[in-house]
Amino acid sequence: MIKEDSGDETLYFCCKGCQGVYHLLKSEGLGSFYEKLGDRTIQPATLAIDISSSQLEKFDLEGFAKRYITTDSEGLNTIHLVIEGIHCSACVWLNEKVLHKTHGVLEASINYTNNKAKVVWNPLEIKLSQIIQTIQSIGYNAYPYDPKLQEERASKTRRSYYMRMLVAVFGTMNIMWLAVAHYAGYFSGMQQSFKDILNVAEFILATPVLFYSGWIFFRGAYYGYKNRIVNMDTLVASGASLAYAYSIYAMVSQRGEVYFDSVTMIITFVLVGKYFEVLSKKQAVDTLDHIMGTTPTEATLIKDGVKSIVSIENIQVGDTLELKAGEKVGIDGVILFGGASFDESSLTGESEPLYKQKGDAILSGSICLDSTVQYEATKDASNSLLTSIVTLLETSITKKPKIEQLANRISGYFSTTILVIALLTFIGWLYATGDFEIALITAISVVVIACPCALGLATPMATLVGISVAAKRNILFKEATFLETMAKSKRLALDKTGTITEGKPSVVFEKKIADYDHNLLYSLVSTSNHPISKGVRSYLLSSYESFVEYPLMSLKTVQARGVEAVCQGKNLFGGNSLYLEEHGVLVGNKESDNTLFFFAIDGILVTWFELQDTIRVGSKEAISNIKKLGIKVAMITGDREQTAQKVAIQVGIDEVYAGVLPHQKASQIDTFHNQGEIVVMAGDGINDTIALTSSDIAIAMGSGADVALSVSDVILMDESLERLYEAYLISRRTFQAVKENLGFSLVYNFFAVPLAVAGFINPLYAALSMSLSSLVVVGNSLRIKRIGFKNK
Amino acid sequence: MSENIVIMMIGVSTFLGAMGLVALLWGVKTGQFEDRSKFIDASHFDNEEDLKDAAMMDEKRTQYKKKTKEHRYSPPD
Repeated sequence: MIKEDSGDETLYFCCKGCQGVYHLLKSEGLGSFYEKLGDRTIQPATLAIDISSSQLEKFDLEGFAKRYITTDSEGLNTIHLVIEGIHCSACVWLNEKVLHKTHGVLEASINYTNNKAKVVWNPLEIKLSQIIQTIQSIGYNAYPYDPKLQEERASKTRRSYYMRMLVAVFGTMNIMWLAVAHYAGYFSGMQQSFKDILNVAEFILATPVLFYSGWIFFRGAYYGYKNRIVNMDTLVASGASLAYAYSIYAMVSQRGEVYFDSVTMIITFVLVGKYFEVLSKKQAVDTLDHIMGTTPTEATLIKDGVKSIVSIENIQVGDTLELKAGEKVGIDGVILFGGASFDESSLTGESEPLYKQKGDAILSGSICLDSTVQYEATKDASNSLLTSIVTLLETSITKKPKIEQLANRISGYFSTTILVIALLTFIGWLYATGDFEIALITAISVVVIACPCALGLATPMATLVGISVAAKRNILFKEATFLETMAKSKRLALDKTGTITEGKPSVVFEKKIADYDHNLLYSLVSTSNHPISKGVRSYLLSSYESFVEYPLMSLKTVQARGVEAVCQGKNLFGGNSLYLEEHGVLVGNKESDNTLFFFAIDGILVTWFELQDTIRVGSKEAISNIKKLGIKVAMITGDREQTAQKVAIQVGIDEVYAGVLPHQKASQIDTFHNQGEIVVMAGDGINDTIALTSSDIAIAMGSGADVALSVSDVILMDESLERLYEAYLISRRTFQAVKENLGFSLVYNFFAVPLAVAGFINPLYAALSMSLSSLVVVGNSLRIKRIGFKNK
Repeated sequence: MSENIVIMMIGVSTFLGAMGLVALLWGVKTGQFEDRSKFIDASHFDNEEDLKDAAMMDEKRTQYKKKTKEHRYSPPD
């Protein structure tokens, strides 16, 4: 606690960082931030954000600017940033205010929901690095993202659909109350002059609905025509425009009834259904922005002994590059000088850092953890692993197998049938009565009554309910159609590490050889972030009650091998057998499938641990439940055969493919495809992504690698396989509801269309039956909510 | 005569409704409903100060425009 007397009151701060921020805000006249914050607390500002100037410099480099900054015709620069550390609306307010007060910033608006900011500034007055520094000085951080990504496009379509829907709803609602007067007049009689007024009013209201809101259907029908497909859009567009054209004729000739209400009703109902589909489509994947935003754009090039920072696009094969601790590798290469440990978790999902030295290959996307190395570029920017994975993903996303949706197929047949029936009706009536007008009216009424509403709503209503039920159980379906695909699947492929297992080792067995002070070991393992040390530490925490952390002397960490230190005059060694034997500790011949950790005091082994990657709780039950649904489960893993088999036996999987490389995982999925199976794949690392994109449904664990999350179709937020089972249940239940809805609308048409063919339909009946059939579909879809799960 | 009344009633009410619709569409188009939390939370902080702030940002922009006109005057082509 830092105490500070400022005249009339005493202030307390948790750290120097917060004190700094407080004074900064006060001097800027933004002290009211603390009132706005209320009782909420925010993360203390880390003064560690004295980030070295070199890291800020990168914001002013050309390569960076080319990628993220857009300059408009007036010479103003615009960038999109994701601001980290925002907890509440007061934080947003503060950031906006501070940026507004910054000289040279002309616009700064931050989205409250996803913390994304748009900043416009004058490059002559301020540099981007200064803007970022301003944000950092008040305790937040910012990194850029590329707004051209799909998300922005998705929100644009959503907005366009929303506006079209608003117009359609407005038109329909107003036409409905005019239509009520019409129907009343139909039964009790109405003067032609009043009828004309109503007709014209309905005409005015229906026109924007047909041409503005209904534009989507005309477009869809046009594309369908170009590809020689009769689809739902064809039926809606032809039905609505036929009814519209006829109604204008009826209005002008003052004979017969107008169908403007049917025109708007069809368009509105089907449009609402389409809007639901757009709404659920690709809900913002911020993680993709994150990975793109943190991709390095520059690297340090060493040429003739001179270091310079160059854009990675300009680096050629054979150049010597320098990599400092904490930097992300931008280009693949081979280490020339020095050694360091690398975090490759974003690439392989493997949590253990790897120690690499001269001659070892390093991969782009991994992070150098502890020291500086020089390496030779073996590939240029566009061929480096990170870039090629991204390109590979982009191509495979577009090539993703699409399972034809039931509703689309049915509506194709349905539309053709109805249009043919309408044509036959017209010919039949023309032949029978010889009256062109009556023949036309009847034919149109066939199209209108064939009510595409129920059919159009059948799928979107059911999937929308299904998606919301799933979301409540922490299962995120990114697109509505995935429910149907998943319901049809009979094949599940699972990754091992991180999916069936936790992905981090924990102690399964301890063999004490001599008594020792557990605090010594606790102090030693607490110094290391290595997963094994962490595993031992959490084991100690659960098996002892009190802990004293001793000060350690001459601490040394050898990556991937062990740690040593001197404490209270004792020499402590902890690590693998090789490491201890190098230091003269007799370990003996301990053979095990599991990872071993030995601990020695003064050269004498006192205890050793067996560590194992534990299987997620409930995996076994979940897998047996999934099998009971008639789904074939296979495990595909890059791990050794032995380890893989052991896990497989424990969870009850018979089909195991072990020692498989990333692209082989994908070809295994293709093998399943060739056997005519629809494949669901669950995984979490970058090594799974190629397989994920080639599968029909990709499922990722919530904590998985960013890329895995962004290519996946379904995300299990709480990472248990139990949810996977529930996802199957929900998708099957939803698909059943879709089938029921489609069945119902077909049955409805089976009865209604013959009536229309026979000429028994009047406008009131048409409107009523349309609303009723749509209501039945909505009601049936809502029943999905009553789905039962075994354990709530 | 009574036809005129009906026409007026329908016309006025539809016109008023259409005005509301146009306002709503304008709101959607300019992104005022994009950010749900801002829509709700930002109203807490809405005061005179913010108005001044907005005016200040506007001022900055006009000044910038003025400046660029002075410095980089390009003849109409």
